[in-house]
Amino acid sequence: MARATLLTDDLVRRLIAVGQVDVVVGLPTMNNAETIAGALQAVHEGLSQHFARARSVVIAADGGSRDGTPDIIGALPSGARDRHGGLRTRHQIVAAYRGVPGRAGAIRLIFTAADLLQARAVAVFDPDTDPLTPASIGGLLKPAGPDSFDLVAPVRARHPLERLLVTQLIRPLVRAAYGRQLDEPLLTEFACSGRFAAHCLAEDVWDRSPMREGIELWLAATALSGSFKACQTCVETAAAAPSQRPRPGLQEVFTPLVGSLFAALDAHAGAWQRDTAPEPVPVIGVEVPPPADPPAGAPSGLGGSFAQDVRDLRPVLESILAPETFAAVAAIAEAAGAEGPSYPDEPWVATVYDFVAGYHAGAIDRAHIVKALMPLYVGRVASFVTGHAASPADEVARDLETLAQQFERSKPYLIERWYRAS
Amino acid sequence: MSGGIGSDPLWYKDAVIYQLHVKSFCDSNEDGVGDFRGLTSKLDYLEELGVDCLWLLPMYPSPFRDDGYDIADYYSIHPGYGTLDDFREFLTEAHARGLRVITEHVLNHTSDQHGWFKEARSSRDHPRRDWYVWSDTDDRYFGVRIIFLDTEQSNWAWDPVSKAYYWHRFFSHQPDLNYDNPAVREEIWNVMRFWLEMGVDGFRVDAVPYLIEREGTSCENLPETHEVLKFIRARLNSQFEAKVLLAEANQWPEDVCAYFGDGDEFHMAFHFPIMPRMFMALRLEDRKPLVEIVERTPAIPETCQWGIFLRNHDELTLEMVTDVERDYMYEEYARDPVARLNLGIRRRLAPLLEGDRRRIELMNGLLMSLPGSPIVYYGDEIGMGDNIYLGDRNGVRTPMQWSGGWNGGFSTADPERLAQPLISNPVYGYQAVNVASQQRSDHSLLNWMRRLIRVRKSTRVFSRGSISFLSPANHRVLAYTRSLDGETVLVVNNLSSTAQVAELDLRALEGAIPIEMFGRSLFPRIGELPYMLTLGPYDFYWFRLRWL
Repeated sequence: MARATLLTDDLVRRLIAVGQVDVVVGLPTMNNAETIAGALQAVHEGLSQHFARARSVVIAADGGSRDGTPDIIGALPSGARDRHGGLRTRHQIVAAYRGVPGRAGAIRLIFTAADLLQARAVAVFDPDTDPLTPASIGGLLKPAGPDSFDLVAPVRARHPLERLLVTQLIRPLVRAAYGRQLDEPLLTEFACSGRFAAHCLAEDVWDRSPMREGIELWLAATALSGSFKACQTCVETAAAAPSQRPRPGLQEVFTPLVGSLFAALDAHAGAWQRDTAPEPVPVIGVEVPPPADPPAGAPSGLGGSFAQDVRDLRPVLESILAPETFAAVAAIAEAAGAEGPSYPDEPWVATVYDFVAGYHAGAIDRAHIVKALMPLYVGRVASFVTGHAASPADEVARDLETLAQQFERSKPYLIERWYRAS
Repeated sequence: MSGGIGSDPLWYKDAVIYQLHVKSFCDSNEDGVGDFRGLTSKLDYLEELGVDCLWLLPMYPSPFRDDGYDIADYYSIHPGYGTLDDFREFLTEAHARGLRVITEHVLNHTSDQHGWFKEARSSRDHPRRDWYVWSDTDDRYFGVRIIFLDTEQSNWAWDPVSKAYYWHRFFSHQPDLNYDNPAVREEIWNVMRFWLEMGVDGFRVDAVPYLIEREGTSCENLPETHEVLKFIRARLNSQFEAKVLLAEANQWPEDVCAYFGDGDEFHMAFHFPIMPRMFMALRLEDRKPLVEIVERTPAIPETCQWGIFLRNHDELTLEMVTDVERDYMYEEYARDPVARLNLGIRRRLAPLLEGDRRRIELMNGLLMSLPGSPIVYYGDEIGMGDNIYLGDRNGVRTPMQWSGGWNGGFSTADPERLAQPLISNPVYGYQAVNVASQQRSDHSLLNWMRRLIRVRKSTRVFSRGSISFLSPANHRVLAYTRSLDGETVLVVNNLSSTAQVAELDLRALEGAIPIEMFGRSLFPRIGELPYMLTLGPYDFYWFRLRWL
């Protein structure tokens, strides 16, 4: 019986024509008609400027767009691709991937194509977030390859009150657990070596929740846990036109990302629990100072329901949290006023670690565990945002560093809880 | 011997041209320098090779500070090469074998040892003073580029004799003639007529864009230069038939096209930019640079023709490429800085291709199948090597390697007396690479080249046909059709070092049966579906399409 394949015969035929390449640039697309032309232009300009001699292919992995995105890509004349002056033919392929629409399916297709083409480096960019520039293409791709770094993550200049899920939970947890900090562990854009892509392809995660839904975080964790070399590169942040797309709700973002991270920690326990010294992830390029003003539309009034949520979730929280952690959370909830709780670093870190251990133990359904963390996260965010409403950016950044250090100091607690829960 | 050279006025469109140095081809008198008697003795070899036309590098008296391009007397033969009678005898014998002969004509400048210049500098009042371009200052024509950047710092040189500056676009010992002076034009035509009446079939005209200078311009490709060329062509047309003028103008094709005029300037011009792009496409394993330059090439008058080449007596010029492309070429083809000269690479074909027979064959296949009259540089048909340490471009001008014997069969003089040393390394030396040994092997490069030329000449579709590129998705495959008067040839080249598959959209040729032109093998009839071909590393196919 023939094995199942991710690549259609038509795609294989087109990839044969491409042949062995140095660089694969992947663009996961799904209804990106507004932005895809600009993104492609930036990709081609970036490849021409920084990889004039490289054999390259641009692959748009489409999840079933209904707004004509594949047609827009296909209509881009070859002359437009060549006008940027690269020495070589640059192929451009649009291919629909099979299965559930989402980043995992797209990245899997891109990695599979890169594996078949024996690419030295692969980059994945999101046509919608953080507008692409030729410089960012070069900045991310140049360090990636078999003789250099297996994973290249971006460093962008952001206000410390941006992306609170990253700063309050994901980044410090990744840093403490794996001993290496990635500024942007969510990897909405990244580059990697062909070796790393091939390694990830062989992992049984692509069709499994929650890794599938938070695949980039899983990839980052995999790179940090294995014998892979990671680095970060400073990329410029171009001015972005306001997106017309509805922003996803917190639960749509929180559950897959946190679930994926917890699953990765579960899978990589042997690696991150080794007693190894923290190791910095090198940063290439010159870091740009973050903007002084907090982002527009910063969250407010989040913590009003914190006390009620803790009361409602009491049985669940008691089954996950250590008694002393639960007592601390309950006390915070009791003391919470209308503006929300005051949720200090120490109980917040203990809360997160208890949830990681609880997820590992699987005493209750793991999806429920992740969901149960969300109200506590909301309370913590409300506490942090309220407490820093008038703080300058550098003070916020300093307190985020203090939080990260708290995560690091408490790592023995995590390991203790891990084995007690097992 | 074949029956002479015929009378087709457009013979140059079908010609396969062979470029050679008299001094490096064969020495008949043991003085270590090739000569016309020696060359005449090798005409049978050239006839057997299958070429139609010999292009001789400068053969005139010269101080040889620029390999003969510094002419000291236009009306004579360099004594080391023989006499005018020797030359006449050579012409007669060449024509008897169907071989036409074109010679070098340096229009732009003379040697500073030429009698004209000696007279011109002798006095500001001398009648020939105005045959050259003089100035009391060196700031006229400011900003005009210097061509030989490695050696020259200015286009003006100080003449201590007449205490004035003279203009030179090339070396300072090569003063430019003043074509604003009608007497110069007349005399240059007299020179050409002298050789044409002797039987020469045409001229390769050196450095044509630079004949006229005008303030505030680049002093290149000026309208007044074209007027000079039209004057020469008109004289040629009025007095001779079936002669050819071949222009050397290292410019972009759209600029070179001006030198065809309306068919009233040059018959032929070199297509310089296509040459480095053939090498680039091969190394990149990507047809893009080659297709781009051919598609960028404008149509030319019906009576005109491009001259294309892989290598010649100069460096592999990289003037007509971008900076990115030049860097790439240097890195891939001239890692040893000694191989770099001016804006180019001083190497022969075989060493450039690392002696890889498959790549040599593919490149010659391209040369013989792309539009234009192909020019083969002497010795490349046997894969001769070079010596980049000889200085200037002398490393690609070493003696022809006829045999593995004394001096490679080039000369019976003492080896120390040779004007140029032979290539003697184990890979490309005359003991390993020579005509005699290759003549004995059916599978030698020499015999392969003979077959290639024979197949090329089996149809006029290569020399006069139109070209249309196919666009297979596989960029490593370069495919095109050449068509003429209902005849079509399909050419498919694998530019890659690995086996490739190509799916060709040949629906426009549906029903045709491809016949491979070298082995005459039949291939499946072309249908509606994509035509699938597999090609080994650097393979190429020429298919004659027959609707039977």
